[in-house]
Amino acid sequence: MTKELEKILPLVQKPARYTGGEYRAVVKDKSQVDFRVAFCFPDSYEIGMSNLGMRILYGVMNGLPEVWCERVFAPWGDMEEQMRAHHIPLYGLESGDPIGTFDLIAFSVGYEMAYSNILNMLDLAGVPVRRADRNGSHPLVIAGGTCCYNPEPLSDFVDVFSLGEGEDVTVEMLQVCRRAKAEGWSREELLRVLAKVPGLYVPSLVDVTYNADGTIRAMTPADGVTLPVLKRIVSDLNTSYYPTQTIVPSTEIVHDRVMLEVFRGCIRGCRFCQAGYAYRPVRAKDPELLVQQGIAACKDSGYQEMTLSSLSTSDYRPLEALCDGLLDYCAPRDISLSLPSLRADNFSMGLMQRLQAGRKSGLTFAPEAGTQRLRDAINKNVTEEDLKQSCRTAFSGGWSSVKLYFMLGLPTETDEDVLGIADLAKKVLAWGREYGPHQRGGVRVTVSTACFVPKPHTAFQWEAQVDMDEYMRRVTLLRENMRERNITYNWHDPDTSFLEAVFSRGDRRLGAVIWEAWKNGAKFDAWSEYFDLQRWLDAFAACGLDPHFYANRERGREEIFPWEVTSTGVSRAFLAREREQAYRAVITPDCRKQCSGCGANQFCPGGVCDA
Amino acid sequence: MPKDRLLFAKEGRACYISHLDLMRTFQRAFLRADIPIKHTEGFHPHPFISIALPLSLGFSSACEILEFGLLAGTPRREVPARLNAVLPEGVRVLECYEGTRPMRELQAIRFQIQVDFAGDVPGLCQAWGELLGRESWIVEKPSKKAKSGSVNVDIPTLVKEYSFTDLTENGVTLLATLSAQNPGLNPSVMVKALTDACPQFPPEFVRYRRLEIVDGDGNIFR
Repeated sequence: MTKELEKILPLVQKPARYTGGEYRAVVKDKSQVDFRVAFCFPDSYEIGMSNLGMRILYGVMNGLPEVWCERVFAPWGDMEEQMRAHHIPLYGLESGDPIGTFDLIAFSVGYEMAYSNILNMLDLAGVPVRRADRNGSHPLVIAGGTCCYNPEPLSDFVDVFSLGEGEDVTVEMLQVCRRAKAEGWSREELLRVLAKVPGLYVPSLVDVTYNADGTIRAMTPADGVTLPVLKRIVSDLNTSYYPTQTIVPSTEIVHDRVMLEVFRGCIRGCRFCQAGYAYRPVRAKDPELLVQQGIAACKDSGYQEMTLSSLSTSDYRPLEALCDGLLDYCAPRDISLSLPSLRADNFSMGLMQRLQAGRKSGLTFAPEAGTQRLRDAINKNVTEEDLKQSCRTAFSGGWSSVKLYFMLGLPTETDEDVLGIADLAKKVLAWGREYGPHQRGGVRVTVSTACFVPKPHTAFQWEAQVDMDEYMRRVTLLRENMRERNITYNWHDPDTSFLEAVFSRGDRRLGAVIWEAWKNGAKFDAWSEYFDLQRWLDAFAACGLDPHFYANRERGREEIFPWEVTSTGVSRAFLAREREQAYRAVITPDCRKQCSGCGANQFCPGGVCDA
Repeated sequence: MPKDRLLFAKEGRACYISHLDLMRTFQRAFLRADIPIKHTEGFHPHPFISIALPLSLGFSSACEILEFGLLAGTPRREVPARLNAVLPEGVRVLECYEGTRPMRELQAIRFQIQVDFAGDVPGLCQAWGELLGRESWIVEKPSKKAKSGSVNVDIPTLVKEYSFTDLTENGVTLLATLSAQNPGLNPSVMVKALTDACPQFPPEFVRYRRLEIVDGDGNIFR
């Protein structure tokens, strides 16, 4: 640790976030590696260290003997102030070396509101923020993660985007970069070769032209580059890397426990859900392997908590066998096992009784919409009867609080649907009184609503977001009709939802807006302490762009979308069909019941998914 | 009542691990090392671990004491190596032994206080020495517990010994033995009082290290 750093650490909150040195942090001998990677997460240490994807790719990259991958997180405001005042550039946690001297700076981008932090971190590293201002003497800047399914808003700042799951493509990319370094290729040569690696998108090799109305006229790739760039997946999760030996932070993080990923993809096809489409096809891990890995991860970390992770854990076929296997190990050792992402339609009493050995916290269900019609329109195939059964199971099993998540502003939503949320919450309360352990009182229902954000690569990618005033009108309507003492209502602030809607479906002209907002102090926009909508509105005005064009405009059927430089493997025609079905409130059966022909089977050997 | 003790050092990057986080770190380390230890009783039993005299964030130490209860099966002599294999960088177990003396006999802590000051270092030593050598020197210290928001501390009564060494043009090392408990004196409180009283000698940076813990007679406490 440098003397300069030693001097500022006593002045900042939670300095353990900035020191590295945790158990299982990978420290290599600099003289034995030929390629240095700064793996950046554009949010705080506590958030970034909770990300399983970071841990997987950290392990994958450090598995290469010639490569040293270090972690970098966004310093909180107090630390940034001290670093800037003492001229300490952003450094890798493992070595403490400034990352501006590294070969590669990689960002994991999972949330639009982190975009400003990417710019800020590059600047703190002393690296020119815009790719136009960088050359071969600077580190190559790449980005991966869910947000990269629409890479365009970040294309002024990032040289290369990695689409889909990174386990394999990261290794291929690193081999190309190491060769380029050894052979002294120019930056242009390197980018041209990387553009040919399946799953990598190089924005400088694509030219975008616009129509008079602001929509895209054409996206033209340079010679030898093909569009769209199809995402990469790991075809067999049983043989792919899982970090049973992983860093144990010395300070508390958000998800401070073993995270065991049971499968990728989702069979459900909820029409609003980008993850549900983008992570197709479904690929499960063997339960025996998961039990082994879960036990190994507990032993290696000393964690006393484990959580199963996936988009919809109760859809994992051998879930009960998996839980039994894990609980045989966990229960006698007081290790608690938790299962988020349970669905209200197949929540089982048997399962809950097994988990009761652990602590009984609240249960959360996400009906997403208040009426059956709207739930059918969004293809959230949960009925009121399902919810009733699940609540009955939960309440009679001793749970006394239930959280319900909904979205407001879903396509086709009417006031009747909004009021349906209040009805449903009241019914849950009544079921709690009927089936709960305490006949009177004691039952709590928490209703949360968020403003719907139409996402690229979903059935609702054409839809307009409701404007903020309309969202707040619906919030007020719901609140006024749900005044029960035992019902708590929380609503998500619409300002960030609005910006999410702008950036998730934005084009590359938004780079100027992100630049302008960052110049005016934007950072940590996911945090209310820092977020300022006005700063962003001013940036749009300064750039002559209208945010409502991106958030609140219904797209034409044939419009070219900026995110169509990428492909998730799910076809536009399928998404358009799904949208039509939404308008008719017709459900599409889940992938196990019937294949809906989405196109993701192109990733499966023989063209057949194992949903 | 658990009677096993660890003597451990906390240095380098580990100086910034807080007291609570360090307890969690040790709980996990015992599990990683597969060393079973006694648990608390009650509804939610958890491993019993107690670290005496919490170390301020940023201080290093060569003499921290952790109390716990070893369950049958692990010989004490194996404990340091097995824990050190699974502890984060900078936390190092030096000894595992049976604690016999009550913790209240731990009376004082020897500190090494490195003062960076590129100025009149002899002047600083003289001015600080004069204050520390007084019969009584009462300063006000902020306190969360006191109703008035502050308490009075008579610093020289809590400084058992002090000396200046390694005087250079860039600073000096102050060795001080300070009362450990009932009441204890945090050396950063002492340095702040000295700095406030001698504004002409503002240190640029001060490093604190616990060198040894001693009993009322000045003998090493274990």
